[in-house]
Amino acid sequence: MKKLLIVFMMLVSSLSFANVKAVTTLTIIHDLVKNIGKDKVDVVYLCRGNQDPHFLEVMPSYMLKLRNADLVFEIGLDLEKWLPQLIDGSRNTSIQVIDLSQEIEKKEVPTTKMDARYGDVHPYGNPHYYLDPLDVKIMAKEIFDALSTQDPGNADYYEKNYNDYIKQLDAKIAEWATKMTKAKGKPIVFFHSTWIYFADQYGIKTAGFVEPKPGIPPTPSHNAEVINLIKKGGVKLIVMENYYSDSAPNQIARITGVKVIKVPGVYGMEEIDSYFKMMDYIVDQVTNNI
Amino acid sequence: MKNYLVVLFILIITIKGFCQSNVNPDISLIGTFNTTTDLTKDSPDKGKINFEMPEMELFVDGYLNPYARATGNIAYEEGEFSVEELYANIVRGLPLETQIKAGKYLVGFGQLNIVHPHAWSFIGRPLFHQVYFGSDGFNDIGFNFSFILPTSFYSNLDIGIYKGDAIGHSELVEPDEEAIAEHRGRSPIFVGRLGTFFALSDYSNLGIGLNGSYGVHAKMDLNTLGDTTAALINKSLDYTYAGLDFKFKYRPDDYTVLTIQGETILNHRDVLREGTVGINSPIQSLQTINTCGAFIYVDYLFEKMYSIGAKYDYTNGIVDDAPGFNTLSNDDKNNTQGLTAWFGYYPVEHTLVFRLNVQHLLYHYADGITRDGSTNITLQMIFSLGPHKAHPF
Repeated sequence: MKKLLIVFMMLVSSLSFANVKAVTTLTIIHDLVKNIGKDKVDVVYLCRGNQDPHFLEVMPSYMLKLRNADLVFEIGLDLEKWLPQLIDGSRNTSIQVIDLSQEIEKKEVPTTKMDARYGDVHPYGNPHYYLDPLDVKIMAKEIFDALSTQDPGNADYYEKNYNDYIKQLDAKIAEWATKMTKAKGKPIVFFHSTWIYFADQYGIKTAGFVEPKPGIPPTPSHNAEVINLIKKGGVKLIVMENYYSDSAPNQIARITGVKVIKVPGVYGMEEIDSYFKMMDYIVDQVTNNI
Repeated sequence: MKNYLVVLFILIITIKGFCQSNVNPDISLIGTFNTTTDLTKDSPDKGKINFEMPEMELFVDGYLNPYARATGNIAYEEGEFSVEELYANIVRGLPLETQIKAGKYLVGFGQLNIVHPHAWSFIGRPLFHQVYFGSDGFNDIGFNFSFILPTSFYSNLDIGIYKGDAIGHSELVEPDEEAIAEHRGRSPIFVGRLGTFFALSDYSNLGIGLNGSYGVHAKMDLNTLGDTTAALINKSLDYTYAGLDFKFKYRPDDYTVLTIQGETILNHRDVLREGTVGINSPIQSLQTINTCGAFIYVDYLFEKMYSIGAKYDYTNGIVDDAPGFNTLSNDDKNNTQGLTAWFGYYPVEHTLVFRLNVQHLLYHYADGITRDGSTNITLQMIFSLGPHKAHPF
């Protein structure tokens, strides 16, 4: 009898009583949904913080996550090309896709016909806007609106959480802006064209990229160009996501003495368990080494 | 060829005329070019480089409406165009979250058959696929009903009903060529698969499946008395396939993938056997045979752009025999084994692939025939133009 009770309690505790079931494509969005939805939202993510969001394998376990979800939040701008296949596989007819890029001022939107000769170019603009904290405010607003629409009975609850989060975010934005004045006008080489929103926000000069074209692996001849560029331009940093291979950047670093900074996504490294901590890490690494 | 072009032209005009959407479907073109060298002892072509005719696949794929997708795949192989696949798939909106697929497509018997060969790590269809499904794999016309099961882990059940052409290809050159296949399409075959998927950790996943297929593979008029003047007895010849498949992937980072995949099949079927001469001809009888086939391979992708791997194949039947009723899937006497090794180079994702593949086949005949093993080297180049979907597990 006692065992039965324990099993029953375990079963009950495993059931979710959240009002909204949500899935996020990236861990950054997961952190935002968690902060705004708190205990009223049951949220899981698909792409880990140390995984390249451009290429996610279509796995049945992801379909299972989407199967009973009410909402799925995506970065949009063609970053998550894998999402429609997963949604089809989930067979969820009522899931709503919330594209967080709707109100974002897009950068690098192609103005001429693009094709594969330019590399893996996103036809609707660069999707890595989440590295600009001001754009994260817009993302938070979209999330708040979506949760309030989905669960109007708790709109006030979400609004309070949203306002609290924005308050904290504003304080952090001011803190990061102060710290980053040290990096203003300084050149940085980035691995992939992920960083334009970040660089524009803090006045960083993008000196070049380790990839010869977006999504195209480094080549010896391009590495030589980057080495030349670093030497001539006085570049002190290569910044890259931690899911890319550091083989080429380290090779360049050995020759030029440049510092390589590997940046995780949220949950992509131990102790990086929020957007704030991720941005703290990036800002500290950049300002301490530039 | 001219007819194909006329049909294509009419289709394009019609689609434009009746289209309710201004969004084009995804169109992609896959080109495959193989250069082979036969190194078999005493082969007349030994050492000769054979530049094969390039092969092409033209995929058109998109949503028909919020509930359904449609896919067409026109292939150009060995100088001929053919419709490799043409199907619609209702992906949502049906009761019990059922998905229905209808048309001509690669049937889900095992995990490899549904993947197009250009996306495999190696060159050449596994030997047992050739013997039990035919050289183009289990590609058939029919309906499939797919259900997700209410389990805590991912599991799905697929049940399909098909014309049975693929089974015919496993014993004949053309399914309609011989009288024994006349019934095909009137006695449909059934295929089922129970698939499961386990996320073992953030970096490793395992898919396991049980497969089955049942049907009539031929109907024959048997001369059971060995008398050509006596009445023949009409018999249905049944078959049952049972299979087990697994695929394990370990992906510690975005640059390294270890894949181990294997499949096995058990074939239980009625076959025609001719015995001693009766009154004026051999006595024909039905026998039940049990044969099998299997493959297992390991592929290791490193630095995102290089892969090496090896495969072992076993099957009853002699793989490159001219198909006939007493060969391939009806052959329980002989067997073929294969050893394959490959090196792949993927300079930019799967837009361009180069592969070097070596295969050695060993033939074993029960009646004492000795035959040297054959060795083939293939250099392959594949290009993929246009949008391509995310890679499935």
